[in-house]
Amino acid sequence: MSTTPGLEGAVLTVDSDDRHSEQLRGSLGFSAEFTIRDHVFNGYWGLAIVGGDLDDNIRLVADTGEQVKLGVTRTLYGLRGSFGLSFPVNQYFKIRPYLSLMVSDLKTETVVEGLAITDSSGVTSTVNYFTSRAQMASGIGTLEALYSRWYGDNRLELSAFYNLIYTDSFSEDNPVLNVNNEVNHTVQFKSRYTGPTGLVSEGRPWRWQAYANYTKFISHNNRSLGYTGLFDFGGGLEWEMNIKPLDWFGWQMLGLRAGIIYGDNVDGYKFGLTAR
Amino acid sequence: MRRRITLYIFISMLLSACVQAPVFKEEGYALIKSNYPIVRLNGDEIEPSYKLDIAAGESTVVIIYDSYQYDYICTFNWVAEAATAYEVTDQERSYPLTLYRWVKKNSLWAIRMDPLDPLQCTRDQIAKEINN
Repeated sequence: MSTTPGLEGAVLTVDSDDRHSEQLRGSLGFSAEFTIRDHVFNGYWGLAIVGGDLDDNIRLVADTGEQVKLGVTRTLYGLRGSFGLSFPVNQYFKIRPYLSLMVSDLKTETVVEGLAITDSSGVTSTVNYFTSRAQMASGIGTLEALYSRWYGDNRLELSAFYNLIYTDSFSEDNPVLNVNNEVNHTVQFKSRYTGPTGLVSEGRPWRWQAYANYTKFISHNNRSLGYTGLFDFGGGLEWEMNIKPLDWFGWQMLGLRAGIIYGDNVDGYKFGLTAR
Repeated sequence: MRRRITLYIFISMLLSACVQAPVFKEEGYALIKSNYPIVRLNGDEIEPSYKLDIAAGESTVVIIYDSYQYDYICTFNWVAEAATAYEVTDQERSYPLTLYRWVKKNSLWAIRMDPLDPLQCTRDQIAKEINN
């Protein structure tokens, strides 16, 4: 689950012939660089709380030929911490490798309709309910490349991310969810263009922003999420509030933004507060 | 319960001590802090410093921002006000470094006001020798 600095929510709808899925996801996070004196590189840290909700309805044909309706509701909460370094190649370009650790709790409720299942007490039913809970730990290695350039008062930012995600999950009530060494890869490309609005609050200016991003879930099977790639683009406003919490790290911008999400079989929207 | 109250008091004391009011050398002086080394003050070469007391009035400081490809020698010129703190940091503006007036808002945070770009930032390999 990706995170964006700030408080952000997204709603995604997957619609295909045999699947209808509603996905809600949200995150509250912040990331910043800190100076390491007498070194060219800086430090980087980030912290985020993430949450998500998936309501998945899938129609499939069982091996025995029955039409089966599968309803899966999943709720996930997690905490993610990141730490790494930032290497400025020059004024415009920097490379930022960092590691993140994410721990999360996943609750799954499943309804299977149309398939006769006999439970342990010997009762057979064609509508069956299952619940399970799993705890997951993910180690994420990220390599980020950032380029930025000013054109007069306007600023262009381009960035590319590669994420290598290693996940272990543990479940006491469903052994199927005990998965070790699951490895996934994702790439993201982000672009943002900002400019002055002429508005000022408390002596500090507001800027407009427009963004366009693309996320590719390289190793995910299309069946797992219902999509393997997403475009999202939109715009908003951000205030250059420039505070220094705890006299430690700079919090430069606080913004509002909204956008739409689009991909194969999926569309949605997102909205939120950005902080950086 | 007592432990919890003690913890609250400790955290409150810790947080309230986070942002300290700047201490000035004497009347008629300002203070400049920098995340990158200040190597010249009013035309004179100095030992690389991250914090300096400066006399109020027109001031010129030269600060070096390092990157792997180039070193940027940035020159700031401004009128420093007495009993005022200034801070130079990299904020991804059009120049590698920006000078701000540092204002203590409360115990939890300070504000960086009135951003000032350097007069110029020159790319130079010699900076490596100055810095080292």
